[in-house]
Parts: sequence; C-alpha cells; structure tokens
Amino acid sequence: MRQKLQNLKSEAIAQIMDAQSVDDLNIIKTHYLGRKGKLTKVFTEIRTVPKNERKSLGVLLNSIKESVEKALTNQVNEMTDRPDDWFDATIPGVPHAVGTLHLVTQAIDEITRVFRQIGFTRVRYPEVDWEWYAFTALNFPENHPAMDDMETFSIDRKPDPKLGKMILTPHTSNGQVREMQRVKPPIRMTNISKCYRRESDASHFPMFHQFEGLVIDEGVSIVHLKGTIDHFAQNYFGSDRVTRLRPHNFRFTEPSFEVDITCDICEGKGKIRGKKCKVCKVGWLELGGAGMVHPNVLRAGNIDPAKHTGFAFGIGVERVLMMKSGIKIPDLRLLYSSDLRFLKQF
Amino acid sequence: MNIQILDSWLREHLSTNAKPQQLADSLSLCGPSFEKVDKVKIDGKIDYLYDIEVTTNRVDMMSVQGIAREASVILPEFGYRAKLKPNVFKKPQVTANLPIKLKVDLKLSSRVMGVVLEIDSIDQSPEWLKQRLVSSGIRSLNLPVDITNYVMLEVGHPIHVFDYDLVKPQMSLRTARAGEKVVSLENKEYDLEKDDIVIDNGKGEIIDLPGIIGTKNSIVHKNTKRILYFLETNDPVHIRKTSIRLGIRTNAAVLNEKGVDPYLAEIAMYRGIDLFRKYAKARVKSKVYDSFKFKPAPKTISVSHTFIEKILGVQLKKSKVVSILKALGFSVKLSEDTYLVQSPTFRFKDIDISEDVVEEIARIYGYHKLPSRLMSGAIPNQVLESSFDFENEAKRLLVGMGANEVYTNSLVSQSMTSKGSLEIANPLGKDTSHLRKSLRSSLIRGANVNKNIESFHLFEIANVYLPTTKLPDEVMMLAGVIKGQSYRKAKGVIEALFSKLRIVADFSQVDNAVFQKNHRVQVKGLGEFGVLKNNYFYYQFEIDKLKKNQTPPRYIPIPKYPSQIEDITFRFPKYQHVVSVINTLSKTDPKIVSVDLVDKYKNYFTFRIHYQDTKNTLDNKHVEKLRNKLIGKAKSIGLSVRA
Repeated sequence: MRQKLQNLKSEAIAQIMDAQSVDDLNIIKTHYLGRKGKLTKVFTEIRTVPKNERKSLGVLLNSIKESVEKALTNQVNEMTDRPDDWFDATIPGVPHAVGTLHLVTQAIDEITRVFRQIGFTRVRYPEVDWEWYAFTALNFPENHPAMDDMETFSIDRKPDPKLGKMILTPHTSNGQVREMQRVKPPIRMTNISKCYRRESDASHFPMFHQFEGLVIDEGVSIVHLKGTIDHFAQNYFGSDRVTRLRPHNFRFTEPSFEVDITCDICEGKGKIRGKKCKVCKVGWLELGGAGMVHPNVLRAGNIDPAKHTGFAFGIGVERVLMMKSGIKIPDLRLLYSSDLRFLKQF
Repeated sequence: MNIQILDSWLREHLSTNAKPQQLADSLSLCGPSFEKVDKVKIDGKIDYLYDIEVTTNRVDMMSVQGIAREASVILPEFGYRAKLKPNVFKKPQVTANLPIKLKVDLKLSSRVMGVVLEIDSIDQSPEWLKQRLVSSGIRSLNLPVDITNYVMLEVGHPIHVFDYDLVKPQMSLRTARAGEKVVSLENKEYDLEKDDIVIDNGKGEIIDLPGIIGTKNSIVHKNTKRILYFLETNDPVHIRKTSIRLGIRTNAAVLNEKGVDPYLAEIAMYRGIDLFRKYAKARVKSKVYDSFKFKPAPKTISVSHTFIEKILGVQLKKSKVVSILKALGFSVKLSEDTYLVQSPTFRFKDIDISEDVVEEIARIYGYHKLPSRLMSGAIPNQVLESSFDFENEAKRLLVGMGANEVYTNSLVSQSMTSKGSLEIANPLGKDTSHLRKSLRSSLIRGANVNKNIESFHLFEIANVYLPTTKLPDEVMMLAGVIKGQSYRKAKGVIEALFSKLRIVADFSQVDNAVFQKNHRVQVKGLGEFGVLKNNYFYYQFEIDKLKKNQTPPRYIPIPKYPSQIEDITFRFPKYQHVVSVINTLSKTDPKIVSVDLVDKYKNYFTFRIHYQDTKNTLDNKHVEKLRNKLIGKAKSIGLSVRA
C-alpha cells in the first residue's frame, strides 16, 4: 500500500511537470483529485486497512495530497506568468565567419591616419635597394659597422659601380633621398615598409616593419620635430602621454635624438606603490630615433641645406603596436607564424 | 656601448652636490644615457653603480674622467654645483736608461708611448682596486694587468704591459703577412691576414696583436721583473676589421676601433707610472718613450648665431652659446653674428661641421626646454598614385568574408621558391636564404600550421621580388589559401571580392603544373584561382592590375514593373561549361534580364530566370513566348529540359 502511494505521487508530479498548458493541468487535477480521482479513491480504500496501520497511512496520504496540490498550483502560476509569445532573446546566435586583420596592418592603418591628419603623404619605396640609398646618401662612411655583413643582408649580385651593393633595406630611411628626388620641398612624407636585419631571437625577427617620417621645408626646427612626435604620441597612444628627446647619435641626422614616451603602466612615475616599475626606465619607454636631417643627406637629395632644413624619425611598427595594446607577445615570431589560434585573438 | 662605473670613483674626479639619481637624470637628458643606478654595498660602505650608454661617436666619454667632464658641464644647467678635479702627477724619478727600440709604420699608429718599470714580484691588487674593476665588469688578474685596465677605465686610453725581456731586441709595428699566426693568453691560435696590425720582436716572431689582445709569448708572467708599460694609438679601421673577423671584442678593441684621442696617452702613461710606484713599488728604468709624429690638427668651424636659432627654433643669448661651448672645452671667438669654434682634442673625431656645434649647444641648453609645435608651413600639395587605400579595401572585404590576414617572412628557403629567385649573400640560415617570387609556399606553410582546423581562409598582401638586371621588380600581390569549402563557395569568395571592388574579370579554364588537372581558372592578366595538388584552394592576384581593372560605379535605373521569376532545370551534355551556357541564354532576349545558377545535381542544372520589361508588367502569355525562345536557344546548344 505504501509503495503504491509513493508510485502514485511520482506519477502525478511527473505529469504536472510535463504539462504544456493550464488545460492540461486541469485534466491532471481531475484525474487525481476529482471526485473519482485516483488519490480520492485511496481515501476510501484506506478503510480496509488494519486499524494499527490506518493512522500512519492517513498521514502519508494527506502529505501526498498536499504535495500534488502545491505542484499543481505552482505550475498553474508559472504558466499564467509565461504568456504564449514567450521568447528567449538571449539564446546564442549562429556564429558568422568574420576574419581578422593582422595586428601589423591594424597598427599601420592607425599610424597612416595620424600622419595623414597633418598633411603627410604615405609613399612606398624599394625594400631591396642599393647601398647608396640606404647608407651612402645617408652620410654613412665606407666601412661603417651598419654596412657589415654582420648586420645587413645583401643580395648575391654584382655591386653597381656607382650605387654599391644590392641590399635588403635595414630601415625605411632609404626613402629619404628617394623622396627628395621625387618631389621638391615642402616635403612631408611617411614611409611605412618591411625592413630586414640579421637578427633572430624572441625579441627580433629578421623581417620587421618601420615607419619613417620626413619633413623638409624652410625654417623647420627641433621645435617642429617635437610637435610632430607629440602629435603622433598623443593621437596614437593617448592624450595624457608625454614625450622627450635625449641626445643620441645617428649618421644621417645632426643633432640626433632618441625619443622616449612616458610609461603607461606607472604613468611616467617610474614607481608603482613604492616599487620600481618593471616595464620602463624610471618612467620612460624608448620609442625610436629621430634628428635634424644631416646637411650631407640634403645635398645627396639635391636640396640646399642653406635654404631648407628638415627632420626625420624612424620608429618600429611592432614596437608601438605592442606598447599601445599592452599585448605582451613573448616571442615576436608568433606575429609571423600564421597560427590561427593567435591571429583570431585580435 | 655601455660602461659601468662606481659613484665613488666618479667623485674622485668630480666634486658636486648632486645626488646619484639627480646626476643620472640630468646627464641622461643632455649627454650620456644613464640606464641604471644601483645601490651597492662595497666593503660595508654604500655606493652606487651607474650603467651608462655611451654612443659610438663619443669615445671620449667611455671613461670615468670622460663622464666627469660631461657632468661638470651639464649639472650646473640643472642648478647643481659641479667641478672637475684636475689630474696632478709627480714627475717620476728615472733610475736607469734601458733602451726601448721600436720601428713603427706611421700609417698604422699615430702615437706610441712606453716606459720600463722594474718590480720585485707580481702581486695581487689591493681590494679597492679589484672592487672597482669587478664593478665595471672586468676580471682581476694580477696587479700589473689590473693597473692597465684600471687606467683604461679611468682615462679612456687602452694600455698594454709586456715582459720587457721578452720583447727585445727591437719591436716592429707592421701589418701581418698572410699565413702568420698568433697565440692568445688562453692558448687559442688565430690566423692573421694582411690588414691586421701586429708587433714582432725584430726576429719575425709576432709578440702582440696591438689594440686587441696580448699574446702568450710576451705577456707579463709570474717571474717577470721588468715591465714595458706600453700605449699606442692605432688606426681604428684596421682594428675594427681584425677584431670583428677574429671575434675578439675586448674593451681595448672596442675603444681603439672608435679612435682614441692620442693626447690621452700622456695622462694614461703618468697615471699608470703613479699607480705602479705606489702599489707595486716599481722603479722607473727608462725615459718615457714617445713617438708622436702625426698630431691631429684642430679644425676651425664657423657657425652663425642665426643658424643656431634656426635649428633650435628658439632665441638664445650669445653669451649663453659662448659659455656652453667654453664649458665643453671648445675655444670660441665671436665676431658679430659668427662664432669661430675649435674643439678640444678629445672631440676632434666627432666635431666636424657646424651642425655638430649646434648639437652641442642644443643638448646642453636642453631639448626639454624647447617648445613643441607643429609646422606652420604649407601642406605639400602632392598627388601620388598609390594603392594603399585599394589594398586596405581588399583586406577589409576579405576579412568581412571570414578570412584571416597573415604576414609571412619574405625570406624563404631555396626549396620554397622557384628557380632564379634572388639569393641572400649572407643569410642567417638555409631556411631564409632566398627572396620569394611568389607567396604560395609561405601560405601553404601557414595553412599547414593550422592543420587541426577544419576550415579557414588565410590571405596576405605582400611584395614578391622578381629579378631583373638591376633592382628586382617588387610586385605587390594578394594571395590566399582556403581549406574546407566546396569549390563553388571558395570561388564565390573571389567573385564577391571582384564584384565589391568592381573588377571586371574574365575567368578561363587553363591547366598548369601547380594545380590539379581541370581545377584552375586563369583570370586574364590579373592572376589565378584553383585547387592545389594538396587540396587547398589557392588564389593570387597582382594588386596593381586589379586596381587598373576597377570600373567606376554605375547607376542602373530601378525597374518600374516587377519581374516574373521561374526556375528551369536543364540536362547538360558532357564537357559543357556552365558559364558559356549562362552567357548564351542571357543573350536570348532583352526581356530575359538574368539567368543565375541556383542548383546542380549530377548533370542537371537549375537556373533562375528573371523576365522583365521596362514598359509594362509581363503577362503569362508573354512570359510563355520568352520561355519558349529560351528553351529553343538551349536546345540549339545541346541542352534538354527536364520534365
């Protein structure tokens, strides 16, 4: 008898849970609790049970009746709260295939825009060029270490009697004299391109990207170089960033500078909660090299240094993209690996 | 190049009230870059170790005294007191006159100095001296060798010590002959070439590789009693070549290849004698030998005040310019607007033109004091034909269709590129020895990297390098590899790209060796698409040609009357190209405005036909006429209608 009662309860509750409408529930109610309902019937059957068991069975029966009624009420309430036009708007969508632009492209786009705003024309010059454009015209003396086979890739070809070896450009600066040959001042150029150097480790890939800025006009001074670098830094990295110039030495500029930008991690303070910032050098990060165009470089481009002055800068694309996004790529080679698990993150 | 020096050592040559970090910050803005200031404890006393980056043109700063000199000029600009302490040497007492016989090729060495010193034994250096060397990254060996390194760090001129008795009778400084060899202190043998500078002992035996390393057969050893303390100013180009070729990058070599001021030799000489007398109880056994034939002549550079202000972009007082230059050791004469400037001997090498002088003034004045302003001149009005925007548009369209952009190395192995590709003369390795002529191998490799992914589309826009007799043609290519799609879907990507870019193209089926048989289309003059033998889809197009084939956007009037649409299925004969069928059927009647393939099963092809008239709505009768005309045309080219 007890077992029969428990089965009856399970059966009733299951039906209540599966019910699709209030009508269903009404039918279930009659089926169990109506005048001829299954549970109602048991109340009459109980009289046939021996007296000593009757009382405890009565208690059980009443508690089952109560549970079934409660389940019914709950379910009816829920159904009346949930109208028929109910719809789960939060259901996950069917994924649509959308690809990704490479991080380098994203950075180059942004750099191009920032300089286009202030009148710079983007140009494209050879990635395989003569030594003359990459070094000699840029005031490098013969035997300069940068021209060593140690640092710069050269092509296995006979050198040109006038222009020297055929090389893979180790910087975008070969565009400087080429631009001077293409147009007369005023010049405002950005040259963003692939470069190659004989280095390969976690933080160097033999192929990388640089952007070069060149401005030549009458009366161009260090003040304008600072203005242009600040324009870039604040538009690309954020208006709260500050830059500074430090003395440095490059063959093709005089004076030459190293450009630093305030660290975003410690906000230029060099310290985080009293501890040395691990990312920067006392609040500053190196951004790239810059300088006033060397008079010999202007002459190589047939521009009279007595009349025109200019400035130039060269900055690594991979460097700024990692500095900006705060993406800590442990190995630069990942950028060029075609690994979709990496590419799809950006 | 970086040098490490202790604050206490620096302050032996500089008196200042600037604290270590203040000193470092100030100098970094106007001179050498102080990359680190570390608090250290030496013999229980607190000291600071500076790590300083000195640019290669400033060999004069690669020493304690050089840094002190700079600091004495820069610190006052930041409001600190700073003064250089002068070198004071007692004239040594000479107790004998042992000969120093030397034959020098003057083209190789502008100055040579030497002195013979007698000692009782080879001792260890005092602790403080060891500490300073070790802090600067130099190993302590024994007192004589340590003194040479100590003086080099302090003064900035390399020095060598020989065992005097091993270099007799006559030293000769000359270039090496092919086949000659030297043996280093570490017993390593080096083969020499004809541009290497060597010293032989007059018997043809090489006893030194001056300016780079000492050799086993002449160096001070434990029984040495007489030392030849020796300095030479060598030709920097020779030194660099030898040092790089042999891979010996000693501090001396690094200094020498940058060109050391020969006037420093004197200071290094007397400082060395001082230290030998004081710590090794040395007796001076010869006159100080000095051969200084080619004295570098000072150069007078004229700089106008206007020019200085033009480059700096601010106005400066003339007295300020003069005081900066004088503090740096320059001699200055001002007449009206022009300064006549001569640099100190230790700057002869890097001060050459008026811009160099401007740099000196600008950096000491302080770049941080200059304002920051954009150019006021006219924006150049240049029209430059370029494909940057076109490339960007193509990239974004492909990304919108689910493609992932990759960047791959243009340097590939020989096996990854076709014959005649440009070869790198000095590659890093075999896998990057050639410049690619096509992006295909790189993209296939990229696809293989992702072999666990079922379907993808990778693309790249990059140059390929096609050899010519001069510079290679750098041709900007768009190429991609697609995996896990049907042929029609993959080709559909290309067609969508062309359609959005408004490129009119003519696809024709032409086989070549790279693609699977019957699975390649050639896009006339632009590139190709097809299925590779490894089952990837691959396409490549020339960016410039795509751009040239762009057509301007065109407006087509929107029809006033609706079209009638129906699907018709045709049975195709064998070997029938669908496109030619579509082309033929489209031309049946002007009122049949489009014929599109919607489905295909075996050799049954279903087309969706749009009937439309510009003047009125077509009725069923009219449509039937057109349908019959279309079917007639279809039958004429061998098609039959499926019932």
